[in-house]
Amino acid sequence: MTRFAIDIWGEMCPIPLIKAKKKLLSMQCGDILVLETEHSCTSRGIVVWAKANRYTIEEKEVANGIWHLELTKTHE
Amino acid sequence: MENSAFRSQRKWNIGFILFLTLLLALLSQISIHLTLIMVLGISLGFVLQKSRFCLVSALRDPILVGMTQLTRAFLLLLGISILGFALVSWSAAQRNIPLSLNIFPFGVHTVVGGLLFGIGMVLAGGCSTGILIRIGEGFAMQLVAFFGLAVGSVLGERSVKKWSNAFGEWPGIFLPDILGWVPTLILEIIALSALWQWARWWQKKQLGE
Repeated sequence: MTRFAIDIWGEMCPIPLIKAKKKLLSMQCGDILVLETEHSCTSRGIVVWAKANRYTIEEKEVANGIWHLELTKTHE
Repeated sequence: MENSAFRSQRKWNIGFILFLTLLLALLSQISIHLTLIMVLGISLGFVLQKSRFCLVSALRDPILVGMTQLTRAFLLLLGISILGFALVSWSAAQRNIPLSLNIFPFGVHTVVGGLLFGIGMVLAGGCSTGILIRIGEGFAMQLVAFFGLAVGSVLGERSVKKWSNAFGEWPGIFLPDILGWVPTLILEIIALSALWQWARWWQKKQLGE
């Protein structure tokens, strides 16, 4: 149960997801990846992607226009 | 809400609604037609922003991450547009109202232009509506993209005749003239459903379900 975070602040749309995918590969099952973005579509895209891949994800708008995501790697 | 990082947007919302109402009231004194167009424009913008619809993502994600949710939403959009377009053209023909549509035959220049637009679209992270939404949300980067979009559109619009002369156009085909409205609609809906099924199959294959 380690928590990882990657910086996707201000990145254009496909890049956050690509970075997250890359980071996930190096993580163990049960690890959590923390992401924060100011881009609503990026947040939405990652949530939809995670759900389609059957990962657990929590999305929270922590301030006006800032989304905090916590993705748990539930399986390989 | 639960913490102070949320600043209330209510006064802005009330302010904008008041401003828009006054603007529309003023505009309706000049022209009802313009007012209706304005209302339609504002509603479209509102729906686009709230729906998070993203054409770039619809075309890019199937290849990049194997997701086709938005692609299927886009196919649904095309289906609805086809029906709406058919309804408008058909009722216009019934009442003898001439329609002036900005539809041009396909040519090599269309493909080149499409590729250029596509590259710009992915780099800017949004198509034309996407960029407009982002500017409205307060992103500065998209202002640069909007400048490029405006310059590109003007240049393209001014030189499109030249390109179509230089590359030649395919003869324009209007399917309802050849097949009739009903067979055309059936054909198009079948084609879209096939694409829909293909998109679903693609996502299943890519995500390994």
